[in-house]
Amino acid sequence: MTLFAFYLVVIILGILSMGFQLLASRLLNPHFGSSIIVWAWLISTFLAAFSLGSMLGGWISNLAPAARRRGQLIGAAVAVLTLGLAAVGGRAALAWIEVRFEEMSVALLVACVGIFFLPVTALSTFGPQCVQYLAGRGTPPGKASGVVYGVSTLGNIAGVMLTAFVLIPHFRVSTLLYLWLVVALVSLTGLVRLLRTSSSL
Amino acid sequence: MRRFPFALLAALSCLSTAACGQDAVEHFDTTYNSLTVERRGDIVELRARFRGSEALESAVDLSDPLRLVVAYTRSLYGALFLQPQPKRVLMVGLGGAGFHRLFAEAYPQALLQTVELDPMVFELCRNRMQFKPTANTPVSIMDGRMFIKRNREQWDWLILDAFRGDFVPPHLKTEEFYRECAARLSDRGVFVSNLHATSDLYFSDLKTIQAVFPQVVLFGVDGRGNVIACAVKYRDPVITDPTKWPAPASLSLPAFAGRLDLEKVRAEVIPIPVNDVARGRVLSDDFAPVEFLNAAKTNNVGR
Repeated sequence: MTLFAFYLVVIILGILSMGFQLLASRLLNPHFGSSIIVWAWLISTFLAAFSLGSMLGGWISNLAPAARRRGQLIGAAVAVLTLGLAAVGGRAALAWIEVRFEEMSVALLVACVGIFFLPVTALSTFGPQCVQYLAGRGTPPGKASGVVYGVSTLGNIAGVMLTAFVLIPHFRVSTLLYLWLVVALVSLTGLVRLLRTSSSL
Repeated sequence: MRRFPFALLAALSCLSTAACGQDAVEHFDTTYNSLTVERRGDIVELRARFRGSEALESAVDLSDPLRLVVAYTRSLYGALFLQPQPKRVLMVGLGGAGFHRLFAEAYPQALLQTVELDPMVFELCRNRMQFKPTANTPVSIMDGRMFIKRNREQWDWLILDAFRGDFVPPHLKTEEFYRECAARLSDRGVFVSNLHATSDLYFSDLKTIQAVFPQVVLFGVDGRGNVIACAVKYRDPVITDPTKWPAPASLSLPAFAGRLDLEKVRAEVIPIPVNDVARGRVLSDDFAPVEFLNAAKTNNVGR
């Protein structure tokens, strides 16, 4: 049952990460269009967030139990807080950025880093910690890594397809951003509790 | 210098066809489109490929470049009945500049500014369809909405004709965007949009236009599925009664002779499908599932 909940949360985090990229594109389009320039900045921002998040998560997973626990709580709090900021103030921020920065690439850099980078980085910190969790339960590290990233990528695919073909056609982007916030809050609360049992082992 | 890669690509593509300047079919994959340029005699067509078929984007008759080959480009001139003196026109979407040449000839003092997203479309328009931009017909390469946001000028006609095959960029179909367009219209300016009555998007699009513009007139292009919506931001005077419009003869110019029959354009006026529009949804920046409303089941498949 615990493992089922664990994999469910891994899938949900995958859904949140990549589904958020499609929502981000819908947020950006009215302000910067839908040209290849927009997609280049958006995809690069998400990949940079995945990269930094994975490295931070790897570092956190090797901390002493008490520090690791603080790192997990900080990661979850940053993810929820920044998703909340994107939901509440994302559009207003984009309207300001669009006017403030004349050069489009600079404006896109500021928008992508300012609104989307932190939540995705924070979500990504949990990947290596999930690997650590499985390894701590006796799964060989290589296998644990393969399983976690494999399941997470399935979640990524589900996130893209669900967002593109079900959610965006039926719901407002603003509604979906609040949905992301609530799902992140619930799933990260569950994951932090699961990881705490691992830390205490 | 920036045009060199496109010119080179076009030249290489030219080598792959039977012979440039004669009948030929060329294919171009650009940043945003998969395009086919076909020349048959003096007719050059620009088509967008999608889902195994092709949508006619534009066509020009090189023996008479002023001729409006594609039917809907004639209906765009319906805007004349609402604003008979277009001095400043903004067009979003270049295609093969099928509309531009007659307009520039008929109104030599007017400015026709075009915004096109795809630089290769502009290059093909110049190299294959022999469009020569002038100081009065400049072309800017950028997103149409970005141009309208950043350019603070006022326009007598603002024509929206932006497609990528069967795809309409969602941010060009929202209430917020139409409000931005309305803000750029002169007091008696006309917003003109090329719509497709065969798509599920049509009714939502009309409802969205009506949410911004108090008066809307539709021109149903003969048998093609295109509908040209002309909308204004004022309530008075009433513009929806064609019997009160200027007489077509009073609007005709020498350049129109044999090319543009304004009597026929006036006869294209169709009623707004009120009941169907009531079922549509106003599209906004927050909710615009344009891709799922099947933008163009048939997009100018014939002339």
